[in-house]
Amino acid sequence: MKRVFGIALAGSLLAAPALAQLGTATQSPPPPGVEEGKGAAHPKGQYAALDALPDWGGIWFVIPNPPGSGAAAQPRLKGDYLARREAWLAEVRSRDGVVRRNRSNCSPPGMPRIMRLAQYPYEFIFAPGRVTINQEAWMQTRTIWTDGRLHEEDPDPSFMGDSVGHWEGDTLVVVTKGISDELEIDSGWPHSDQFVLTERIHLDPNDPDVLINEMRMEDPEALAEPFQVTTRYRRDRYGKLLEFQCSENDRNPVNEEGETEYL
Amino acid sequence: MKRFRTLLAAAVAALAIPAAAHHSYSMFDMNKTIVLDAEVVRFKWQNPHAFIEADVTSPAGTERWAIEMTSPNNLAQEGWKRTSLRPGDRVRIWVHPLRSGARGGSYAGVRLPDGSTLGDVS
Repeated sequence: MKRVFGIALAGSLLAAPALAQLGTATQSPPPPGVEEGKGAAHPKGQYAALDALPDWGGIWFVIPNPPGSGAAAQPRLKGDYLARREAWLAEVRSRDGVVRRNRSNCSPPGMPRIMRLAQYPYEFIFAPGRVTINQEAWMQTRTIWTDGRLHEEDPDPSFMGDSVGHWEGDTLVVVTKGISDELEIDSGWPHSDQFVLTERIHLDPNDPDVLINEMRMEDPEALAEPFQVTTRYRRDRYGKLLEFQCSENDRNPVNEEGETEYL
Repeated sequence: MKRFRTLLAAAVAALAIPAAAHHSYSMFDMNKTIVLDAEVVRFKWQNPHAFIEADVTSPAGTERWAIEMTSPNNLAQEGWKRTSLRPGDRVRIWVHPLRSGARGGSYAGVRLPDGSTLGDVS
């Protein structure tokens, strides 16, 4: 009888082809630009070198622009993207300032906006061949590869994009491509799939508890000229990121009209 | 003076609005501040937003209000803790109300039962 059960089990496995993939690890080749046995996937023996990197310990909060610092710089869109911006503005005006949404508020903003959120802090973790940015917002993780690899030739469009960086002295220079064109530069500021972000991240020479991110955004289809903006963060040395479980506190569903509701 | 204060409060609040938060603040009337004398029903210390549920009693009856706050890590900078409010606490809460007129709003400040205050209570 027991044997019969065994046959039945085998039969059910065969009947579920998708299950046959379970438990099988992918076998990826080294990424272009990284030799076999080197890079982020082989951290052993590389940890001591990390001590030469600057001190970015603790967590970091975006510093709001001081009062009286004037209107924030704005991207200069062109073509269809400018038309989309104008249509968006007209709609927001017609709705008394209320912005329509087409996805859940539990969907994160992605890059580059998620690097500029006032409410939720960040931490930077150094490891051999990579820098990991943990973001309290939506508990997102961003990986910046610093092991010499090249950008993916055709990255899947994503919220975080494909980030490749290197250190120039104490400055982390990062280029990010492959950010989904369904995301925005900022609310109501669209971009194309050609969008490229370059960040230069370093401590403020005048204040080691301030981290500066000089962001330069380029997009040959959407931007008439590169858009540059600087984001500053202040350190809380012993602070820690808190949990962010959006579904546990989803008080703001989006209705069929694209309106954020309030429960 | 009162008008000046209201305007000032609105100006300060506008500066304090995060550019991109969990959701847009456009559902709240950030130019308007109302004051509620309320009894705390629930205080939830959680991302994306902490919030207060409180009962406001008037001769017309009791209304249940839901008041949304910023993130716990932001509130902590203002002195808030998970234990700052408990059910049954009698408090005064300053709120930017929902534009829809529903009984909800965005937190501005609070006077706790011991008389101390947190946030913007002007």
